[in-house]
Amino acid sequence: MAIREKTWFPIVYMFVLTLVLSSVLIVFGMITRKRVKENEAIAFERAVLLSLSIDNAGKMTPGQIHQAYLSDIREADEKSAGALRYVRGDSIEGYSLPLEGPGFWARIKGVIGIEPDAMTIKGIAFYEQNETPGLGGEITKEQFRAQFVGKIISATGVPLRIIGPAEPLDESSVHAITGATQTSNRLARFINENLTRWRAKMTEQ
Amino acid sequence: MVAAKRTRDVVLTAIWGENPVFRQILGVCSALAVTNLVLNTMVMGAAVIFTTALSGLTVSLMRKYTPRIIRMMVEVLIIAFYVILFDQALKAYWPDMSRNLGPYVGLIITNCIIMGRAEAFANTNPPLLSFLDGLSSGIGYSLVLISVAVVRELLGMGSLLGVGMPFFSSSIWDRWIIMVMPPGAFFTLAVIVWIARTVQKDKERKDTKVKK
Repeated sequence: MAIREKTWFPIVYMFVLTLVLSSVLIVFGMITRKRVKENEAIAFERAVLLSLSIDNAGKMTPGQIHQAYLSDIREADEKSAGALRYVRGDSIEGYSLPLEGPGFWARIKGVIGIEPDAMTIKGIAFYEQNETPGLGGEITKEQFRAQFVGKIISATGVPLRIIGPAEPLDESSVHAITGATQTSNRLARFINENLTRWRAKMTEQ
Repeated sequence: MVAAKRTRDVVLTAIWGENPVFRQILGVCSALAVTNLVLNTMVMGAAVIFTTALSGLTVSLMRKYTPRIIRMMVEVLIIAFYVILFDQALKAYWPDMSRNLGPYVGLIITNCIIMGRAEAFANTNPPLLSFLDGLSSGIGYSLVLISVAVVRELLGMGSLLGVGMPFFSSSIWDRWIIMVMPPGAFFTLAVIVWIARTVQKDKERKDTKVKK
């Protein structure tokens, strides 16, 4: 018992305990680090494939996603104005433009797929978001994303509009999520900022 | 015989008699935050059960050596250790769920239930009993959270575990958006605490009558 009453004992005790527990965490972190990194990369790659509406992208295993990504997706070049290129054979089949901006709770990161005509939307997908599950979180659901397919980036004014669920749609608008007005508005704002910038760069060429 | 009764008492008290959420009103912050989808809530519950049980065990194992003056620091350290372990495992092996729960898994460290059990029970009881007490407290917490989540997901989204329920997912049912939003958790939790306490009170009254 005597040793417990020494002044230095609590300090040493705390130090040793911290050392032991941290070591375990560090080792576990090292073991899982590779997996965590891979998970993040796969989440991005899956979003890119989804944005290009590549068949079965939603059902692929992580391995298949990585394969498909490596074989068909090329990095952005000057001609694509920052968008990833979807290449089959020698021809460009589409672009996937990374998007990022503030959501309701945290930043949303995604990609939007565009046909080679640089006008028609191929699809949209998100790989990082922290919106309210069941409300803003619905942006990751097929139901919301499917609306974008085939929409035309408006040549003048706002490229794409996200409008109230009761309003009639046209070729450049999709319906917002009921109950998630803030997410929808912020999403519309940064999608359009990115698209406007991209469209300007593309038409310069 | 005595030991068995003691064990049963510990379990029942933690789950019902002294349920952390509706008797002690502890851990309410996460009860409000992660209860709008049943699946997310179940994983959150699993994380809390894992942490309360193992931290109870560890604190109890070390209770004879830990100096009193730093015991709370030691408890927090142990709790944090288990939470980070769980969070890291989730990140590596269930990334989608990890993204859904966001910061809430990490915030389990500050969940008063776990610290409360370490202080009130594990500090002065043998390891196995402390493990059981932690396990039962975690289960008690999870059961309340899951009840809240069932009500919220059903009324707010018309589904359970993501599967559309008859009637609630049809067009007859107008989804209660407020149930999905944070205020929905306040209403639901309050009603559940109300019901649980009313039931308990009735039982207590009956018990005292019998004794007379």
